[in-house]
Amino acid sequence: MTAPATPIARPDALPEVDVAPGRARPRARVRDGLVEGWLRGHTLLVYLFLYIPILVVVVFSFNATQRRVTQWEGFSLRWYESVLHDTVVQAALFNSFRVAIATAILATVFGTMAALALQGTPRWFRSIFEALTFISIIVPEIVIALSTLVFYSTTFDVINQLFHVRFKLGYETIVAAHALFNISLVLLLVRARLSGMDRTHVEASYDLYGTPWRTFWQITFPQLLPAIVAGFLLSFTFSFDDYVITFFVYGAGLTTLPIYIFSSIRQGVTPATNAIAAIMLLITLSVLVIGQALVWRNARRSGQRGAQASVAGMIAEQSG
Amino acid sequence: MADKEMERYVRQMRWQLERTPLSRRGFMWASAMSATAAFLAACSGGGGAATAAPASAAASVEPSVTVPSESTAAVESLGPEPSFEVPPDIEKELFMYNWSGYVDPNNMKQFQEVFGVDKFTYDTFDANDEMMAKFQGGATGQWDICCPTMNYVPAMRDQGFIQKYDKSRIPNIKYMDKAFMGQWWDPTDEWAVPKDWGTTGITVRTKDVKEPVTTWRQFLDLIPQYSGKVVFVNSADDVFIAPLKANGYSLNSGVKEELDKAREELLKVAPHILALDSNTYQDKIRTEEAVLGLTWTGGILDLRDKPETKDVEYIIPDDGTVFWLDTWVVLANPPHPNAAHAFINFIQEPHIQAIETETNRYATPNDAAKQFIDPKLLNDKAMFVSDDVMAKLEAQKDNSANTQRQDIWAEFNQKIGQG
Amino acid sequence: MTISTEVAKADDEGPRRSRRSALVTGLLVLPASAWYLILLVLPLLIVLVMSFGNKGRFGGYEPAFTFANYADALDPNRITPFVTSLVLALSGTFLCLLTALPIAYYIATRGGSRKSLLIVLLIVPFWTSFLIRTYAWLTILGPEGLAGFIGDVTGDSSFRILGTPWAVLLGVVYGYLPLMVFPIYVTMERMDRTLIEASKDLGATRWATFRQVTLPITATGLITGSILVFIPLMGEYVVPAILGYGRVFLIGNQLVLQFLDSRNWPQGAARAVVLILIMLVSVVFYLWFVNRGRRTRDVSVV
Repeated sequence: MTAPATPIARPDALPEVDVAPGRARPRARVRDGLVEGWLRGHTLLVYLFLYIPILVVVVFSFNATQRRVTQWEGFSLRWYESVLHDTVVQAALFNSFRVAIATAILATVFGTMAALALQGTPRWFRSIFEALTFISIIVPEIVIALSTLVFYSTTFDVINQLFHVRFKLGYETIVAAHALFNISLVLLLVRARLSGMDRTHVEASYDLYGTPWRTFWQITFPQLLPAIVAGFLLSFTFSFDDYVITFFVYGAGLTTLPIYIFSSIRQGVTPATNAIAAIMLLITLSVLVIGQALVWRNARRSGQRGAQASVAGMIAEQSG
Repeated sequence: MADKEMERYVRQMRWQLERTPLSRRGFMWASAMSATAAFLAACSGGGGAATAAPASAAASVEPSVTVPSESTAAVESLGPEPSFEVPPDIEKELFMYNWSGYVDPNNMKQFQEVFGVDKFTYDTFDANDEMMAKFQGGATGQWDICCPTMNYVPAMRDQGFIQKYDKSRIPNIKYMDKAFMGQWWDPTDEWAVPKDWGTTGITVRTKDVKEPVTTWRQFLDLIPQYSGKVVFVNSADDVFIAPLKANGYSLNSGVKEELDKAREELLKVAPHILALDSNTYQDKIRTEEAVLGLTWTGGILDLRDKPETKDVEYIIPDDGTVFWLDTWVVLANPPHPNAAHAFINFIQEPHIQAIETETNRYATPNDAAKQFIDPKLLNDKAMFVSDDVMAKLEAQKDNSANTQRQDIWAEFNQKIGQG
Repeated sequence: MTISTEVAKADDEGPRRSRRSALVTGLLVLPASAWYLILLVLPLLIVLVMSFGNKGRFGGYEPAFTFANYADALDPNRITPFVTSLVLALSGTFLCLLTALPIAYYIATRGGSRKSLLIVLLIVPFWTSFLIRTYAWLTILGPEGLAGFIGDVTGDSSFRILGTPWAVLLGVVYGYLPLMVFPIYVTMERMDRTLIEASKDLGATRWATFRQVTLPITATGLITGSILVFIPLMGEYVVPAILGYGRVFLIGNQLVLQFLDSRNWPQGAARAVVLILIMLVSVVFYLWFVNRGRRTRDVSVV
């Protein structure tokens, strides 16, 4: 598929390149090795940087202390035990999870749709839409949180009176509020991906009498997949970890994990929260490892190597 | 499982009562009271003055509290076990909006079992201001009970967020210390039921700070000497206490000249402050990163009781400080009003309230509960302050309208640690 | 079937767009537009209306029409938090960029079959609560951790990492890294490997290749990433409060002070409106500036 992509097809994409023939090569090889080493080292350091606090979190989940998590007082499994019996924490975790999943799905679908179609909209619409995208990211959380709450309560008051229903703050209000920022997130990611995309494949598909639908699924979608997945992951994370917006728009009984944890800092963060985090990490990492192992097995079985063994490749190849 | 919990709880109560000499004293005190009351009633039909004498004689362990006569009969009827009357119209659910971990889990469970409330939803907030903003934004009608600090009660009342509680459903209010009733935040005692109270004070690591720090004046003067080792809680109302009280003003002062003086003092110490921290100041004190602090009691008392950090002291300054009182309020349009009232009454049951005090480590305004509380706690001057100290405490008022305070606070914030 | 010619010529919109295509476009943008309209425009209108009002008797909002709140928001004496936030946001974004670029490049080009796993592993730490992660940093960098260790080694007993701008920057990079890595990765991964090979075949050094082939193609990702980090960073105040020991006063603190402590919603609203306008203008200007020399070709795929 990459063979047709010669410089001729994309005159803009290949600017002038410094030509330094022959002489630079032996030195370049050493430098190449250094650069390679540096790249690898930097990446490793970053991953270490990301995971060292996680390690600390897990270690302290075994802290035998009574109240404050930051004071080590011996090894104990009691907090895991308490988490498994604590219905309040479990409810908070469950709420967080289902809000985050719903938001992530909504945002990914709607954001991707919008990103795809945005280029086809009239100029005036596009400008306003883009401005709104940025505004949704610019607005400080407390401002959007409070104003959304006021909006909800005023609207519900009016609607409840007019139509004799009983709308109130609850699960849907949180999901809707989270989805706003996340739609913008996905939109920006997918557009970034789209901007570099190769149109020749799309054109080729149409030349071969492909329908727009099929073209999308077999050409565009697989190429967009990394951006869509990235958008989904970021949306899920933002929603799962959100405090300010959730705090103001949630209804009774829908305490999420961040609210639970933030509220407990006055009394002292107990290792119970660390235990929850550790349990979640365990589940997530196991799922990932199993998933990747399956991908590897599948790749080896079909004899493919390299980039195509990734998930994106799998899907593309199966739909083709 | 539920039965086991219940059994364990009752056994715990019994054991607690039996092992402390207080129970015997409590019984003696109660009988002395009732005898006197009966005698006086026979003579002159009830009197509060005469009860003061036996109270002070028998109250060598309890902090001096004058128990009004109407509660003596109630107190004497208190047996070793709590008794509950379940109202017939109680709902099956209760939605509570409260600070985190503010109700003992055993009490919660017992309430659910005894009163048949299957679903006890406990949602939390971290600060009065956040709770207020949520209600002001329109999130009313969601919960049944809330627990604001008393200075927020008038604003909540005037904006229609809370409703008057039904006194007939909360008879246990008779156990309340009168010092907390009929005050400015609820003069008619119709809106808020006191829950617990505490102070803001000075925390010192006496092994590092050898000088005496018994007043705010000394505290402020000492700060430059321990530059970079001082922690303040991140709360404007509390931080203003130090300079205002050090100069003899009211800590709720809105007078321009007084606040100017406070500003001067605050800006003078700001460069020497290590951190503005409401949540981890205990850790800073523990690791000696900070040796002086303007703090609450949370976590500090625990440090003081541990052998490694027993040099930690919590001091209620002689020139006065604030007392805050958390209160139970019934919210307006509650989904489950009967359960709400039943809970408030339940939690004020002296035996139950005693457990609350021991779990939360804040002083209770419920007099009758004191006889069931571990005497070590009752003797803790940081928790149950003595009368003369009590006189120096000033109630926190709502200062949100004062723009000068806001400006000074912003300026103070910006000067922190610039030294 | 004349679809092919129409789509091939559809580099930007035009009057020849087929009606069916317009309908599909409309339907595709409808949900996102509805969201923006209902949950962004309307609440912001509320903010706008509030900004002209007065503080209610007990706080909140009281209908009125006054410019006093704007006068207060634009008061030059109150500008310090804005400057502090700006400095934090700029330095944080820059550090994020430096940290994210190599790792995005590495995963995109050397990740191979492990690409997806590596990307997901980047974000898994963020499924632990923000607060517990930050508290973990308190332990790691505190007197019982790194700072204590360095203090012992150098003999400086009052050595401190926490409460300094460095701790804040570290916390910020830690929290915002995925927002920078993902956009860059997403564009880098798209990049055609043959371009790099061609460039190398023509004898270019690695750096030249990177600068003149890789960078322009991934520019959109870099721009998106920097916007996604810079903007929220302007409103950040929690990390500086915890890791910075509350020693800085930022716009975020100011807004919280006005909305929560003083309960002066109109004043907070006016400040927010001013902030949003300043940021919007800055972003538009930034985009215009970086896209000057580039020809952005967004593909129409409908």
